[in-house]
Order: sequence, then structure tokens, then C-alpha cells
Amino acid sequence: MDALVAQHLLNWLVLGSIYTLVALGFSLLFGVLDVIHFSHGDVSMAAPFVALAVIQAVTVTLVPDGGTATLILAILAATLVVGLFGVLVDWLVIRRFRAAPAMMALVATVALGTVVRELIRTLYPQGSNPKPFPALTTEVLRLGEVAVPVFSLIVIFVSVATVAALFWLLNRTPVGLRIRAVAEDRAVARLMAIRPDRIFAITFFIASAIGAVGAVFFASHAGVVRFDFGVQLGLIGFSAAVIGGLGSMQGAILGSLLIAGVDTTVQMTIPDGASYRLVFIFALVILVLVLKPSGVLGKPVFEKV
Amino acid sequence: MANHELSLAQPRPATGPDLAIVAGVQLGGAALLGAFLLGEKTAVVVALLAVMGAIFALLQLRPGLEERIVSAFRAQRRPALALGVGIVLAYPFFMQGSSYALHLLVIALLYSVLALALNFQLGSANIPNFATGASYGIGAYTSALLALNFGVSFWLTLPVAAVVATIFGFLLGFPSMRTRESYLALVTIAFGIVVHQLLNNFSWTGGPNGLVGIPAPTIFGHSFAQPIEVLGFRLPSQANFYYLSAALVALSILSAKRLHDSRVGLAWNALRADPLAARCQGIDVVWYKMLAFGVDAFLAAFAGTIYAFYVSYISPDNFTFLVSVTIMTMVIVGGMDNTLGVILGAFLLTLLPEKLRIFADYRLLFVGVIVILFLILRPQGLFPQRPRHYGGPQ
Repeated sequence: MDALVAQHLLNWLVLGSIYTLVALGFSLLFGVLDVIHFSHGDVSMAAPFVALAVIQAVTVTLVPDGGTATLILAILAATLVVGLFGVLVDWLVIRRFRAAPAMMALVATVALGTVVRELIRTLYPQGSNPKPFPALTTEVLRLGEVAVPVFSLIVIFVSVATVAALFWLLNRTPVGLRIRAVAEDRAVARLMAIRPDRIFAITFFIASAIGAVGAVFFASHAGVVRFDFGVQLGLIGFSAAVIGGLGSMQGAILGSLLIAGVDTTVQMTIPDGASYRLVFIFALVILVLVLKPSGVLGKPVFEKV
Repeated sequence: MANHELSLAQPRPATGPDLAIVAGVQLGGAALLGAFLLGEKTAVVVALLAVMGAIFALLQLRPGLEERIVSAFRAQRRPALALGVGIVLAYPFFMQGSSYALHLLVIALLYSVLALALNFQLGSANIPNFATGASYGIGAYTSALLALNFGVSFWLTLPVAAVVATIFGFLLGFPSMRTRESYLALVTIAFGIVVHQLLNNFSWTGGPNGLVGIPAPTIFGHSFAQPIEVLGFRLPSQANFYYLSAALVALSILSAKRLHDSRVGLAWNALRADPLAARCQGIDVVWYKMLAFGVDAFLAAFAGTIYAFYVSYISPDNFTFLVSVTIMTMVIVGGMDNTLGVILGAFLLTLLPEKLRIFADYRLLFVGVIVILFLILRPQGLFPQRPRHYGGPQ
């Protein structure tokens, strides 16, 4: 029984890490740009496909069996490409809604999500079908009775490292200072010789690249990827960011762990839990928002005249 | 009635041009829609899309044109209404017996109802709601379950489904007391997903397979599954549902108009302008917000019931999050708080994907791109909301 609990604990941390990587993007973009980038999940989900394409290209042209090295190269390439894709998406579409009401940007990014999904589906050969995604590693460590997949450890380690790097970047570097300045007050930041447009592009790159890592882990965890996986991942990531408190990085982590906790608990305790997991996750979302209307760590909103 | 005398004192504008404009716009619109519905060749559909694009470009460049048309309609309200009703009644006779064209019309009309329902919230009061699809589903499932399990007639399930959906609507409105904007949007998204997942998992809703074999309604012994035969004309059975949904759209327009002109509509508009100021004016913000959720669910359930009896087969996938998003897009593309614009948005977004089938695999891509372009190029919607008109001469 203890072994089972440990297994679920590990599962919880893996899911929580994956959700965190996606939720951070939502929270960061909202905090800096005041925009809900609803297609963030779909943009991130482009990463596994880029990775698959890179693996294909490498195995065909260079080394027939690159193994792990190819996979790591592919993931790095996918992270970079998707980061730039995020910047492109902002430049093409989202920046045109900076001054528009929030609902317009929301609907525009929802439509953008459809476009991204359909692009993946039509551009990737036989894109409508699920694609097997190679596991990073299938090795398993045995700690007593508990079987610990090395993959889980990698996911947790990389996520913690990414979050640490993000916090370091935001709080300890000149770029982070500029990002925080723009988030605080766009106009005043401009007076301080900061170019908001450049900061927005950097923010989009960071958010999309982190999301890309999350999506690759998600695909690797599931062992399969389909063009529309981004919808659910995006919804869960968005929910995590919102119940944690939009704009708060700690909130995004907390929200992700909460949702992943419900996810694993339901699957563990309820018979047929896998089909009811979304019901419980989103019931939790409603409950949290009824009790804490601006998320757990969100700043309470005061109405001003 | 000083205002009235004032308007009489001025020389009356000639009614001739006004009537010609009204008739031209209505008949032209009907002809364009008909050609679009019946057009099958790629070139024809593309050409018609180009014509529509040109019309809207013209309206965009010459705002005076729109003003002229609106004032003509205002001056000739009764003839315009009579002609409109006439066109709607006669329309199926011009569809060359095409059941596909009629089917598209029925679906477009049902989506018009859904978009009008959401418009009370999004358009009038600026409350985001991503759960209209869920209310639509609750209505459809309630009536279908009643009809299948208890043999309740269609006409009785209609109000029952509406009441059930309204109760859920009020429940959904409950969190709106405290949450706002993006947070409220997420509550409605979550509600929609929970409803969809439950419909998908319960055994008594048929699970992912849904409910099959919902009987067609009958009226005065005439089954809606039968074709209509009038004066030697034979209309496909879809025509029954065409008239039914058209009646529902008319009801929705009427209630939209009455609500807009009432204290409720005024309160909603005040909420949209500034919730805090509205509260200071003594408007019960929470009640009006919840009322908006209730009205939305009520109308959506009507549409859901008609849909269930029309296609006689419903499954959870008819009521997903993406359906709610589509309804939301219809309202925003059409023009918030503008009844005609919202209906046009619903027609456009229902017919466009169907007609773009000629682009086969790329159709959803096109629809997405068109929606984004629309939001960038004409953010106020096809027909922007009009300032309130408090009687008296303009």
C-alpha cells in the first residue's frame, strides 16, 4: 500500500510539473501584457510535432539511430522554434488587440488556437492521426518496493530547474527588471527608456518556450500526441494559472499542484476515475473561484471609480 | 407630446425612396442568401463571398450609407416588418425543394437563437459566458429524456426543458456575485466542461453514444417528419422545423426588443458601462447579472429542444466547449447588442464552414483566419451597437 501511495505521489509531482510549465506561460503573459493567450496550449503543443519532425530529419539524413542524443537535440530545437513561433503569433495577431476589450482578445486567441491546431493537422503528414511519441527513457530505478521511472525524475528535475531559472531571470537580471517594470506600468517603463514591444516579444518567447517543454513532457508522458491535445492541456494550464491567481508565478505553481493533486487522487480512489477526472478538476476550479474570487494567491481587486 | 408636434412641423420626407431602400435591402439580402445556399460550384461560392466582402467594405468606407438604410427602416417600420415576415414565410418555396439548403437554414436559425440568448449577457451587460453550449445541451437532453422515457409530447417538453435549464443558469450565475471578467469566464468554461463530461459519462444519458430515436413532434395530426404540401407545392420535411425555428427567432427578437426597451435592458446597459456606478444608482447588480444568466439559459434550452427533435439524435459532442466558443464568436463578429448583427453573425458562421467544404481539409483553418481578420479589421462587429434612442425626433 505504501508503495502504491509513493507511486501516486510521484505521479502527482510529474503531472504537477507538466501543468506548471504550461500554467506559468498563462500567468506570465497575463501579468506582463494583461492578455489571456488562450491559444497558449495549442502553440505549446506544436513542440512535440517539431520534435518529431527533427527526429525524422536527423534519422533520415545523418544518423540512422541517434537514440537519446537525437531526442535531446530535437527537444531543444522544438523549444527554440516554438518560442519563436510564440513571438510570431503575437506579432501577427495578438499585438493588434492590446488596446481592445479583454473579451475581444480572448475570442481572437481562441480562433487563433483553431488556426494553430489546423495548421499542425494539415502541415504534418497524416496530422489527423495520433502519433507515437518516443519516451525520453524507459529506465526504471528500484527503491525498495517503489519503481521510479527515470523519466519522472527528469520531468521533475527539469521543471524545478526551469522554474528556478525563470525566477532568477525575473528577479535577478536586467531583462527581468525590465519585464517587471513593463508589467507594473507600461507608460512609465517607456519613460525609463524601456521598449515595451521588445519586452513583449521576450515575454512571449519565454512563455512559449517553457510551454513547449511542458508539451513535450506531456506527449512523452502519454507516449502519444495528437494535433488537438493542446485544447485540454491549455484549459488545464489556464485553470491552474487562474485558481492560483493570474499574474502570480507562485500561484501558477500552486494551482498546478492543486489540479494535479485532484487529478491523481480521483484516478486513485474512484472506480472509473479516469473518465470523471475532468469533472472533478473543473468542479474544483469552480469551488476555488467561488471561495477566492481572484485565485488563491491573486491580489484582491478593489473597484475604483 | 411636444416632440411629436415638432416632428410634424417639419416637412415629411418622401416615403418613396425609403420604401425602395427597404425593399431593395431585404430582397437583395434574401436573394444573396438564397444564391449562397444553393450555390454548389466553387467559383459561384467564392464570387458570392467576394460580393459580401465588397458590401461590407463599402459600409466600412461609407458610414453614411448605413445611416441612410437605418433611417429608411426606421421611417418605414411597418412595411419593412410586413415584407420581412413575407420573405421568411415564402422562403422555403424558393429553395427548389433542396432539403440540404433548408437544413442549413434550420441550423442557422437555431444558432441565431443561441447567439441572441448570449447577446443578453455578452452584448447588453458585458458578462462573459462560455456555457451557452451547456445550457443548449441541458435543454436538449432534458426534453429528449422526457420524450424517450415518459413519452412526453414535444410541446410539453419545451417549457419544462426551458425551466430546468434556467435553474442551472441561475446556479451558474451564482458565482458571478463575486467573480468577474477572466475569472468569471473560467467559471463558465469549467461549468460547460463539467456538464459535457457528465453527459458523456452517465449511463442514463446514453454516455458518449447519446440518445437515439427522439420522435418527431406532431401538430394537429401533422407529423413534422412529413413533407408539407400547400397549393400543389411540396416542401421537404425540414420546412416544418424551418417554420418552427423561424418562429422561435421571431420570439427571441421580440423578447430582445422588449427587454432592451425595459428597465431590465437599461440596467444591463448600465452594468456594461460601469458596474460600480450602476450599483451606486441603486441597481441590484447581482440580481441583474443572474437574470442575464437565466434568460440566456432559457432561450438556449428552447433551441436545444428543437434541435433534439429535429435531428432526433443527440450526443455530448454536440454541446462542447467549442460550441460555446462558436456562439460567442457569432455575437462578437455580428456586433454586440445589435439584434440584426448577431443574427447575421450566426448565419455567417453557420453557413461559412458548410460552404467552405469545397476547400475540404482547410475549411476550419479558413474559418479561423476569417474570424481573426474580422476581429482585426472590423472590431465593432458587422453591425455595431447603436446608441439608445429615447423616442422623439432624432
